[in-house]
Amino acid sequence: MSSIIEVKDLTFAYTSQSTVLKNISFEVKAGTFLAIAGPNGAGKSTLLNLLCGLPAKRSGTIKIDGAAVESYSTEALAKKIAVVRQEFIPVFDFSVVDTVMMARTPYYGPIGFGSKTDREIVNESLKATDSAQFALRPLGSLSSGERQRVFIARAMAQDTPILLLDEPTNFLDLKHQVGIYDLLKSAQLEKGKTIVAVTHDINLAAQYCDATLLLGADGGYQHGPAKDVFSTEQIQKVFGVKVFAGDIGQEKFFLPLGKLAKGSE
Amino acid sequence: MSRQLTAKKLAVRTAAGLVLLMLAMAVCSFIGTEKVSLRAVLEGIGPQGTVNPDYEIFVKVRLPRIFLAAIVGAALASSGVICQALLRNPLADPYILGISSGAGLGAIIAVISGLNWTFAGRSPIAVFAFVGAIATVWLVWFLGRLTGKFHITGLLLAGVVVNTFFSAIIMFLTLVAKSQQVYATMFWLMGYMIEEDFRVLWVAAGCVTGGMVALFYVAAQLNALSFGEQDARSMGINTARTQIIAFAITAFITAIAVSLSGLVGFVGLVVPHAVRLVFGPDHRQLLPISGIVGAIFLVVADTFARVIVAPAQLPVGVVTAIVGGPFFLLLLVKYSRKVSWLK
Repeated sequence: MSSIIEVKDLTFAYTSQSTVLKNISFEVKAGTFLAIAGPNGAGKSTLLNLLCGLPAKRSGTIKIDGAAVESYSTEALAKKIAVVRQEFIPVFDFSVVDTVMMARTPYYGPIGFGSKTDREIVNESLKATDSAQFALRPLGSLSSGERQRVFIARAMAQDTPILLLDEPTNFLDLKHQVGIYDLLKSAQLEKGKTIVAVTHDINLAAQYCDATLLLGADGGYQHGPAKDVFSTEQIQKVFGVKVFAGDIGQEKFFLPLGKLAKGSE
Repeated sequence: MSRQLTAKKLAVRTAAGLVLLMLAMAVCSFIGTEKVSLRAVLEGIGPQGTVNPDYEIFVKVRLPRIFLAAIVGAALASSGVICQALLRNPLADPYILGISSGAGLGAIIAVISGLNWTFAGRSPIAVFAFVGAIATVWLVWFLGRLTGKFHITGLLLAGVVVNTFFSAIIMFLTLVAKSQQVYATMFWLMGYMIEEDFRVLWVAAGCVTGGMVALFYVAAQLNALSFGEQDARSMGINTARTQIIAFAITAFITAIAVSLSGLVGFVGLVVPHAVRLVFGPDHRQLLPISGIVGAIFLVVADTFARVIVAPAQLPVGVVTAIVGGPFFLLLLVKYSRKVSWLK
C-alpha cells in the first residue's frame, strides 16, 4: 500500500516567536483513517489547511499522491482532496441538493451546468449520507447534525480519494457523533477513501482510526496506532489535564476530570 | 430532483423574461404626454420639407429614452447581484464600494468647472463621472487589499470611508457652486434619464450585455463562493481570479450606468433581492433574471417619471424609491415564509 499523503520535516510559524508545527513528518497510507488530536492551538487546523494547499510560508515538503501539494492547481487539487470545515452557513439560502451539486463545479460544462453524471453522483452522495429526504429543503432549516451530513455529502460528491475533516462532530449529540464516524468509516471501507479527521474526541477517534497524530502545544508530536499514542501519561502531558483510564474489553478509554469533578477525589 | 435548475429551464425563463421586457418597452413607448399613433409612426419621416411629429417623438425622444432605461436598469440590477455575492452581504448594492461618490465627485467637478466640450458624443459630466467611478473603485480595491488579499470587511470599510469622504467633498463643492450648477448636480445625484444619441446607446448596450455574459461565466463559481473563500477553494474554484473578474466587470458596467444616467438608486439593491425571493439564490439564474427585471423596472419607473408631473419631469431615482419600496416590502412579506417555491 502506497502513501497518499507524505509530510516531511514540516515546520510552520504564524509569527517568528511562536512555532506552531515543528519538524513534523508522517505518512498516510491510501485507504486508511488518520485522526489528528491535540490541545487548542497545537496547530491541528493549521496542519489541515497546509495539507489542502493553503499557500503559506513553511519549510518541509507535503506530497499528495506523489506530487508536491503546491504543484497542483486549485482545480487539480480539488480532484484529490475534499474538505469538510467547521460549519459555515451562507447568507443566501441554497437548498441541500444545490449545495451538494456545487462540489461538481470544476466538472461543469462550458455554460456552467452539471451533466447527468454529475447529478447521479450528487444523488448517490445524498443517499450515502442519508440526507436525500431533505434534499430540497434550504440549508438554513436543517439541524446541525443534518447539515454536517450535507457537508460530508458535498465532500463525497467531489469524488476525491482523500477526505479531510475539521472537527466533524462538533456541536453534535452522541447519536449523531457516532453516526458521522460510522459514515466516514463506511466511506473508507466501501469506497477506499483516505480519511484525515481533526478531532477533540480521542475516545471516539480511537475506535475508528487506523493511526493517530497527537500534536503537542510545544510543537512536538506523536504518530502511530491509537493504542500506542494514547496513553494516560501521554494524554496528561499533552493536554495538561488529569485523566482516568478504563478498559472495555480490549479498548482503552480516557475520562478527563477537573479538580472539582465528583470523581476526582 | 426535478426542482433543480437546469440549462433548459434557465433558457426558457430568460426567453420569457426578454419577451416581457420587449412588451414593457413597447407599451411604455406609447405612454406619454403626447399621444402618438402607431400608424403615423409607421409612415416614417414625413415627405421632404415636412415633419411627421409622431415619428419624431417616437423615434427621437421616446425610444432612445426607453432603451436607456433598459440598459441602465439591467446594468445596475446585475451589478447588485454580483456585489451582494462578492461581499456575501445582502445589504450590498453597486454603489457600496464608492462608485456613487466617485462618479458624483467627477460629475460635480465637471459641472462647476463649466467645461463645454464633448468626447465621443459624451458630455463632460458623463466622462468625468465614468472616470471618477472607475478611479474610486480602484482606490477602494487598493485600500481593501492593504487589509488582506480579499478581506471583505476591509473592502467594505474602505468603501464606506471613501464614500463618506467624497460625499463630504461633494457637499462642500455644492455649497460653493452657483445655484444653477447646484440644480444640475442635484438632478444628476438623484438619477435621471435624457434622450441619448442611438450611437451612444448601442455602444452602452453592447458593453452591458457583454459584461453580463462574462459575469454569467463566473456565476457557478460565485455560488460556491457563498460558502466562503476556503470552502470555494477546496471545491476547486480559483477564488482570486473569480473575484477579480467579477469585481472588475461589475465596476465597469456600473460606471457605464452612472455615466449615462446619474445615481439611480434602489434598483441595484432591491431587484436582486426581489428576484432571489422568488427564484432562489442560484447566481446562474439570479444574474440574467435580475438584469431583465431591472430593465423592466426602470423602463416602467421612467415612464412614471415622464408623465406623473407632466409637463415637468421627475428624476427617475425618486420614482424607483417611491414605487419600489412598498412593492419590495409586499414581496418580502408575501414570500419570505416560502422562500424556495420556485427553484
